[in-house]
Amino acid sequence: MTGCMGCARQTVGLVAVSMTTLVPPSYAQVDPYEIMDRVDQLYRGESSHGTSTMEVVTENWDRQMTMELWSLGNDFSLVRIQAPAREAGTATLKADRDIYNYLPKVDRTIKIPASMMGGSWMGSHFTNDDLVQESRLVDDYNIDLSFDGDRDGTVVWEFTLIPKAEAAVVWGRIEYEVRQADYMPLGVRYYDEDGELARTMEFSDFVTLGGRTVPRLMMMRPADKPGEHTSMRYEDLEFDVEDLDESFFSLRTLQRRR
Amino acid sequence: MSQSPWARIGMRNLGRHPKRTLLTAMGLAVGFFASVVLVGWSQGLVNQMVENSTSLLGGQLEIHDAEFLPERSLYDTIGGRDGVDLDQLLTRATSDVRVVAAAPRVYAGGLVSSGNSTVAGMLMGVDPEREVALSRFLDVLTAGRLPRPGQNELVVGTEMARQLETEIGGELVVVAPAADGSMGNDLFTLVGTYRTGLGEIDSAFAVLPVEDLQALVVLSAGRVHEIAVSTQDPWVAEEVALAVTTAVDGDVLEAEVVPWTELNPALVEYARLASSMYGVILVIVFGLAMFGVANTMLMATYERRREFAVMLAVGTTPWGVVLSVLYEALALGLFALVLGVVMTAPVMIWWHNAPPDLTGLVGEIEMMGSVVSLTMQVEYDVNFAVMTAAALLATAVVAAFYPAVRASRVPPADILSGL
Repeated sequence: MTGCMGCARQTVGLVAVSMTTLVPPSYAQVDPYEIMDRVDQLYRGESSHGTSTMEVVTENWDRQMTMELWSLGNDFSLVRIQAPAREAGTATLKADRDIYNYLPKVDRTIKIPASMMGGSWMGSHFTNDDLVQESRLVDDYNIDLSFDGDRDGTVVWEFTLIPKAEAAVVWGRIEYEVRQADYMPLGVRYYDEDGELARTMEFSDFVTLGGRTVPRLMMMRPADKPGEHTSMRYEDLEFDVEDLDESFFSLRTLQRRR
Repeated sequence: MSQSPWARIGMRNLGRHPKRTLLTAMGLAVGFFASVVLVGWSQGLVNQMVENSTSLLGGQLEIHDAEFLPERSLYDTIGGRDGVDLDQLLTRATSDVRVVAAAPRVYAGGLVSSGNSTVAGMLMGVDPEREVALSRFLDVLTAGRLPRPGQNELVVGTEMARQLETEIGGELVVVAPAADGSMGNDLFTLVGTYRTGLGEIDSAFAVLPVEDLQALVVLSAGRVHEIAVSTQDPWVAEEVALAVTTAVDGDVLEAEVVPWTELNPALVEYARLASSMYGVILVIVFGLAMFGVANTMLMATYERRREFAVMLAVGTTPWGVVLSVLYEALALGLFALVLGVVMTAPVMIWWHNAPPDLTGLVGEIEMMGSVVSLTMQVEYDVNFAVMTAAALLATAVVAAFYPAVRASRVPPADILSGL
């Protein structure tokens, strides 16, 4: 779930920015690209390792999974399911723009084609595309500051992201809300190409993990299924992991069952 | 008619210039031939489209859970989570004599992978024995054989096989979201390939026994998404749907029986559009023929103006002159009709039973969700043939009306005095 890890990195980046500029810039001084770019730059080159619990609630079933996650920058990530037992060992590898799934039951690896990037990841409300595109907001979208002020007692910025003409993205518009006090992301709204709200993501439970303030909990809700959601909760997280390099993110590692 | 002097005069005049009469009659007869054969061919094409569209993959009827369409959710099986007594439902679905076959279907979206190639597709669980009696796409496999239940075998379209870069005997990894939220996955062996000619089918459907797909996506034995039903004639599907609804109603909760006319309204509209053009064909064909007949009758009445002058001079009313000309035209029309039937009937019988196949010239044509082979298959339409005959006779009479009126107005004295 590099997308979720990316949010953590964005959070880290925003925190770092806030430490160097103690007073948030005024509306006239806010440069959306600079903010998002700083997040991207702080995000790249970092590594992380952690465990998380995902809960998926749908109309027809509920399930929980615990996972172990590794990531290196925006281009490499590995997620391995630890529980439940019947799916333990199932893993997803992202290497550059390619995604692979390992299926321990049949001991086979399949490559997920580009056409399936919008498909559900392991039955959750996150998509395969979330793992690939999250880090490219600055490259693929035109970003404008659309709101600066108080919302529900919190002073926030809201950035509106419109895809560039040549960008291969699935969203027609994204609205990104950031808390001014500490640059924490609060929520994201995703709209389809017809301008209809497709899903929302909420960040909460801001804690210190691995020495950094991050939102522990992320909640994705589809707009067309109000009773359904997927939550992702970090149990532990460490940054700048030693000896974690690109060679770790290989098909051989993917196929290890633990 | 045989009692009327004007009728006798009219018919006798046909023999004055046999060649001219024959040529004029041929013009009308060819119009009759063209109209009947063109419309018959159009109807043949429409019927072929309907037949292919409804019998290639699906049936003329489909029984679903009321919530199944249009999203086709994995969870919307007939009878809900509890499923149904499948044997009983199939028996009731085939209770109408117009029903040829019925077969259960299970559907699940998933991935099919071979080596480094992965294709997103629709997994279709079928009962192979029932399926070949219902639909046609598995009738003649391009390679291999049908899958056997419990053996993890499947059949894919030739285009999917090409994209997967696999062949008969190849190993396929199949992954699909299961009904319990898990990710169903298993290894299968490719045992056959099919080809419909429709790219969206040949590249999308992987067919396996219904029990195997149910196991993969964690559906119990009684849970199916569809009962497909085929009928003897696609055009009785709506009536049969009502009968089948009555047969199954009360035993199955919230099931609906949907005829193909509701599933593919575009095809119904196309058939209606084609039918609406038949009248236009008649107007055009006989509108053109009318000028030829009018020209002939004008010449004929001009040549006989002395005769008409004599008739008028001896007391014949102008209306009597008109009638004589109109009877001549009617006789011409009847003669043309006989010629037309003689020309048309053998061709219609031939092309209905052994139509020439032009597929070699233009290949198969994909249209309205079906593959159409360009043959000269024609369908009989007695109603239209009767309409065409009436149009032919009407054309002859109407075309002769103006010449008839002109003939009735010849000045007897002037004509007879040589002026």
